[in-house]
Amino acid sequence: MAVTASAGPRAAGAGLARDPALALVVVALWAGLVLFVLYPLAMLLARLVVDQGHLSLAGVGKILTDRHQLQAFRNSLLLGALVGLIGTVVGFAFAFVAARGRLPRWLVAVIDASVLLPLVSPPFTTAIAMIFSFGPRGLITYELLGVKGFAVYGMWSTLLSEALTYFPIAYLTLRPILAAIDSNIEGMARSLGASRARVFRTVTLPLCTPGIANAFLLLFAASLADFATPLILAGNGFPVLPTQAYLQITGMFDLRGGAALSFALLVPALLVFVLQRYWVSRRQYVTVTGKGAGQTPADSMTPAVRAALLAACAAVTLLIVYFYALLLYASLVVALGANHAFTFAHYRTIFTDGAKAIHDTLIIAALATPLGGLYGILVGYLVARRRFPGRGAMELASMVNYALPGTIVGIAYLIAFNDPPLVLTGTALIIVACYVFRYGPTGIRATVALVSQIDPALEEASRGLGAGSATTFRRVTLPLIAPAFFAGLGVVFIRSMTAISATIFLISIGWTLITVKILENITELSLGPAAAFSVLVVAIVFVAIALISGAMRLFRAPGAAPVTSLLGG
Amino acid sequence: MEAIRVRVDGVSKRFAHRVKGEVYAARDVTLDVAPGEFLTLLGPSGCGKTTTLRMVAGFETPDAGRIRFGDDDVTHTPADKRNIGFVFQNYALFPHLQVAENVAYGLRVRGVAAAQIAEQVRDVLALVGLAGYEHQFSSQLSGGEQQRVALARAIVIKPRLLLFDEPLSNLDARLRVQMRDEIRDLQQRLAITTIYVTHDQEEAMAVSDRIVVMSQGRVVQDGSAEDLYHRPRTRFVAEFIGRVNLVAAQVVDIAPGVVTLAALDREMRVSHDGAGLRRGGSARLVLRPEALEIVRADDARAALEGVVTARSFLGEKVEYRVRCVDTSLQVVRHNSGTDDIVPTGMTIGLAIASPTAAVLPDDDE
Amino acid sequence: MNARLDWRARGARTLVLASLVLLALAAPAARAAETLNAYSIWPENWARPMFDEFEKATGIKVNFVRFSSGEALARVIAEKNNPRVDVLFGGPVETFAAGIAEGVFEPYKSPSFAKLPPRMRQADGQWIAIADDPLVFMTSDKFVKEKGIKPPASWDDLLNPVYKDSLQMADARTSGTAVTRIFSILEVNGRDENKAFAYMKKLRPNVQLYTKSGGGGTLPVGLGQAGGGIFFIVDALDTKAKGYEVTISFPKEGIGTAAEGIALIKGAKNPELGRKLIDWATSPAMQGQFAKYKINFVPAHPDVALEPGLAVVLKDAKIFPIDADYAGANRKRVVERWIAEVLNP
Repeated sequence: MAVTASAGPRAAGAGLARDPALALVVVALWAGLVLFVLYPLAMLLARLVVDQGHLSLAGVGKILTDRHQLQAFRNSLLLGALVGLIGTVVGFAFAFVAARGRLPRWLVAVIDASVLLPLVSPPFTTAIAMIFSFGPRGLITYELLGVKGFAVYGMWSTLLSEALTYFPIAYLTLRPILAAIDSNIEGMARSLGASRARVFRTVTLPLCTPGIANAFLLLFAASLADFATPLILAGNGFPVLPTQAYLQITGMFDLRGGAALSFALLVPALLVFVLQRYWVSRRQYVTVTGKGAGQTPADSMTPAVRAALLAACAAVTLLIVYFYALLLYASLVVALGANHAFTFAHYRTIFTDGAKAIHDTLIIAALATPLGGLYGILVGYLVARRRFPGRGAMELASMVNYALPGTIVGIAYLIAFNDPPLVLTGTALIIVACYVFRYGPTGIRATVALVSQIDPALEEASRGLGAGSATTFRRVTLPLIAPAFFAGLGVVFIRSMTAISATIFLISIGWTLITVKILENITELSLGPAAAFSVLVVAIVFVAIALISGAMRLFRAPGAAPVTSLLGG
Repeated sequence: MEAIRVRVDGVSKRFAHRVKGEVYAARDVTLDVAPGEFLTLLGPSGCGKTTTLRMVAGFETPDAGRIRFGDDDVTHTPADKRNIGFVFQNYALFPHLQVAENVAYGLRVRGVAAAQIAEQVRDVLALVGLAGYEHQFSSQLSGGEQQRVALARAIVIKPRLLLFDEPLSNLDARLRVQMRDEIRDLQQRLAITTIYVTHDQEEAMAVSDRIVVMSQGRVVQDGSAEDLYHRPRTRFVAEFIGRVNLVAAQVVDIAPGVVTLAALDREMRVSHDGAGLRRGGSARLVLRPEALEIVRADDARAALEGVVTARSFLGEKVEYRVRCVDTSLQVVRHNSGTDDIVPTGMTIGLAIASPTAAVLPDDDE
Repeated sequence: MNARLDWRARGARTLVLASLVLLALAAPAARAAETLNAYSIWPENWARPMFDEFEKATGIKVNFVRFSSGEALARVIAEKNNPRVDVLFGGPVETFAAGIAEGVFEPYKSPSFAKLPPRMRQADGQWIAIADDPLVFMTSDKFVKEKGIKPPASWDDLLNPVYKDSLQMADARTSGTAVTRIFSILEVNGRDENKAFAYMKKLRPNVQLYTKSGGGGTLPVGLGQAGGGIFFIVDALDTKAKGYEVTISFPKEGIGTAAEGIALIKGAKNPELGRKLIDWATSPAMQGQFAKYKINFVPAHPDVALEPGLAVVLKDAKIFPIDADYAGANRKRVVERWIAEVLNP
C-alpha cells in the first residue's frame, strides 16, 4: 500500500524509469503473474508434450482420441450449452420480473436473497438436495409423486442442478441491463403501434441480446468448469471432463492423462473468454450506470403474463428455499430418511472433528482475501490508468486463471509446484495463491470499470489544487476505487469458502478445506456433517457479505456495485 | 387525415411518493384541443405537464377523468392502439436499429408493404433534412440529427395526434431556436393536432397557438401567449411568463372596468374588472419591465420617479434597475442606437404604458 | 473523512503486514516433536477415535487426512521423493500390495508380526494387517419388500432384472472396496478372467451408480434410493446401526475379505513415531477397541475376540481371503480392463 501511495495518478509520459515506485509495483505484479499463472500453465503444457525427455504427443493423442473421453468432451459441451440455455432463460425471467414486474420492494428483496443462496453455497448443496428429493426414494419423486425407480443419476439431474446453481449469474447479468433500458424506448415502440409482445420481441429482446449472450457464455463456462455437481449426480452414463480429469489423477494417478483431459477443457474455455471479450463487450447498446432509469418502468407485461412469470419464478424460488430448508433439516436430525430425531450432534462433529478444516479454511480465506483485494485494485488501477510497457499483456495474463476451469488451474499447480525448484504442495501458500490469482480478477474488472468512470480531470483537479501525486492517489483515487476493493475482497472471500474444483488437488496433510470435507462426508455416509458444514459455510458467507456491504456503506462508496452482483461474471 | 379534437376531461393521476406518501401528479386537468391546434403545456418541472401528456399518449392510465380523441373515448386504450406520434426529450431512438429502420418501425408494425415503407421513409427523411442518413446508427448522429429522426419516426405513421415531451431541451440554444421553428412549420404543413410540453416559456410562446400553464398538478391559466403575458390571473403565471415587477398596492377605489390603486406613493388607475379585489384591501400591481419607459424626471408622462441603481448593456436592449420609493424595479429599454444611455445615479421619471399593467389580488400565492 | 481515510490507509498497510506475517506462519513449519503424519484410508469417524486412543496411550498426536485408497496411494506415490506422511493407515492390503511395486514402503515387523497368520502380513513387513473386512451384500428392506424378492443369496441373484438400475457399488478407479469386489468375482469364477468379466458386464445394467468411495452407496441403499449393493461389512453394519432398514446377506459361492493394512512410508520424517503407531495398531491395544467404538472390523490379531454381534452376522457366511500377491500383481491390468469393458462398454 505504501508503495502504491507514492505512485501518482496518470501523468503523461511518466515512464517506468522516471517512476521507480511504479516500476517496483509492476515488477512485483509480473513476478506474481509469471510464477502463479504463466509458469504452472507452461508446466502443464510441458507435461503434455514432453514424454520422458522427448517431445511427443502420443500419450495425449491416445487419451484424447479415447472413445470414452471424447464422449466426456461432448457431454461437457452439451451440458454447458444446455445449462447456458436454461439458466439464461430462467435468469432472464427472474430479471424481467424483478425489473419490470412492479413488484413490492420486499418481494424483490426475497428474490434477491434466495437467488443469492446457490451462488454463495459450497458445491454439492443442490446436488445433495437433488438426490434426496428426486432419487428413487426422493421426497418429491417417490413420497410426493409416487414415481417408482426414478433414475436421478445422469444428464438431466446434473443439468437441473447446475441450471439451478448458476442461473443467478444470468439474473445478476441481465437485471441491471433490463433496468437500464430507457423505458421511453419501449414506450415509443408502443406509441408507434406495437403491442406488448411485439415491443418485447423487436425492442426489449434485441437490446438485451449482448447481455443474454454474455449470460449464456458465463453459464456455459461455469458448467464447463463445474466439477462437484457431476461428481455427485452425473453417474456413470454421463461422464464429463472435469470429473474425468479428477478421477484420472486421483484414482489412476495419471497426471499426464489428467493434464490432457483438462487441456481439452482449455479450448472451449478460451473460446468463451475470447467471445466475451472481443464480441459481446463491443455490442452493448445499454449502458449500465448503476443509476436506475428515472421513469416509471414501462408497462411491459399483461397481467396474465406477469402472473405466469411470477408463478414460474415463485416456483423456482420455492424450490431453492425448499432445497436449503432440507439441507438445514438434514443438519439437525440424526439421520435423514431413517431417524428424524432432533440433534446438534452433527454441529458438534464439525466443530470437533472438523475443527481443523474450519480453522484451515478460515486462515486461508483470511490470507487470500486481503491479498486478492489488493491484487485486484493494483492491477485494475495500473492497467486502467497508467502507461507502462506490457500493460495489455498484464491485463490478459491476469485474466488467465480466472477464465480457465478450476480443474486446469488445480492440475497445473499440482504439476508445477510438486517438484523442485519450487515445492509448494502441502503448504497453505499454494492454496492462497490459487485463490488470489483465480478470484482476484473480479476485483480487477471492478476496478477497471470504476476507474474508467472516474474523470481523469478529478485527479488533475487535485494536483492543480497543490496536492502531490501521493496525496492525490490517497485522497482522490483511492476513495473512488474503494468499492472495487471491497467487492474484490468479498468475491475472494466467498470463493475461498466455497471453491473446490482447483483446490481439491492442493489440499494436504497440513491444510485441508471445508469444501473437501463436505465432499468427503458425502462420499462416506455422513450426510449430517456434510449438511452442517454447508449450513456453516452459507452462514459465514452471509455474515461476510453483510460486513462488507456495511463497510462499503461506511465508506459511502459511490456507485458501488453490490458485492454479490460481481459473483456472476 | 382529418385533424381531430382532443378532450381531456377532469383527469387525475396519483403516485406513491417515498416521503410524502400519495401525491397528485395531475389533479382534475381539463383540456380541449381544437383540430389542428398546437397546444403547449407549460410549467416548471413537477407541475404535472409530462404526466398529463403521458396519459394522453397512453403511457399512464388516469385514476379519474376521461380522454377523448374526436368521438373515441381512449381513456383505457393502450398506447399502441391510439395512433399517436410521440417525440421524447431523449429521442428514445432504438439503439439497435439504423435510422431507416427506426423510422420504418411504426410502418412495419402497421403491416405496410416493404416497397411503400422504403418510399415513405425516404420521403420523410427528406422532409426532415436527413436524406442519406438511412444506414447510420443513432449513436453516430448529433443531437439535432437524432431529434429529426425522432420527428420523422413520429410523423411517418400519419398519427392522429402529435405529442412532444420537452423535445428541445437537450439541444444547444442556437439549434433549439432552429428546431422549434421547424417543428412549428411542419405542424402547420401537416395540420396535425399537437400537444407540446415544455418548461421554457419563450419556446412555448414561439410555437403555440395556445398555452396551458400548469402548477402543482393543476391547470392555472389557459390562453394565447398575449393573454397570459398581459393578463395573468395569478402571481404564478405573471412570474412564470416573462419578467415582471410585482409592486405592493392598496385598492383605493373600484369602478366598473377601472381600479384605482395606491402604490409607490402614487395613485394610479388600471383597467381591471375588480374581481377578487376589495376596497381598502391589498393587491399586486403587475408591471412588465418593457411597460416602464424611462423619461425625464420632469416629463409630464412620468407616473413615477426613481434613481437608476444599475444597468446592463445587452446589445439589442439595455436593462436597468430603478429604485422607486422602497422598491427596486426592472426596466428594459430597447436599444434604438440613438438614445443616450442613462447613467447610474441619475434621477429619472418612469411612464407606464397602462394597457400592459395588470392587477392581482394579494392573497394569491 | 480525513481521519477515516488515514485510518484506512494505515489499516490497509497493517493488513498487508499481518498477511505477510501469517503467510510466514502458514509455511509448513515443523510440527511439535511428538506428532506424526498419516494418510488414513479409514473414514474419519473410525480413524479419529483410534488415533485419539493412541495419543492417550502414548502421548503421540496423529495428524491425518483422509483419502480413499486410490487417492491415498496416488499421493504416496507422487510424494515418493519428498514424503509428507509417515504412515499409511487402513485400507485393503491389495492397495498396499500395489504400493510395494512402487517402492514406497519401508519394511517393518512389529512385535505382533510373528503372531499373525500369513495372509495378515506381508512377508517382508512391507505392510501388516490391522483388521479383516469381509464384503457383504446389503439390500434395502423397503426395496426387497416392494419387489417381493428375498435378499440375494448368490452372485447370480444380483443379475435379477428387478435390480435394474438399482445397485450401487464402488468405482474401481478410486476405491479399494471395488478392487476387492472384482477379485472376489475372479475367485468365485476360478480366476477365469473372461468368465468373471462376462458376469460383471451382465451385472452392469443393474448398477445405478459406481461410487467414488467404497461406502458411498450405503446411504442411498439405507434410504432406499438404491436397492442394494456390495460393501464392506463395516460400512454395512454402520448403516444398520444408524437406523436405516437394510439387510446383510452373503452369496453361497462365497465372497472375499480384504485385510486392512498399515505401512511405514519410506523416507518418513518421523520413522520412530510411525513404528510406534504400527506397534500399537497391530496389537490388541488398538484392535480390542473396535467394539467400544462400534467399528465392525474383524480384528486381525488372533488374541482379540470377535465382537458377539459381529460373530452372529458372520455365522454361516462363506468367506475367503483375497490373495494379496495375486491381487497386487494383477490389480492395474484388471482395473484397466474393468474401466474399458465394464464401466465404459
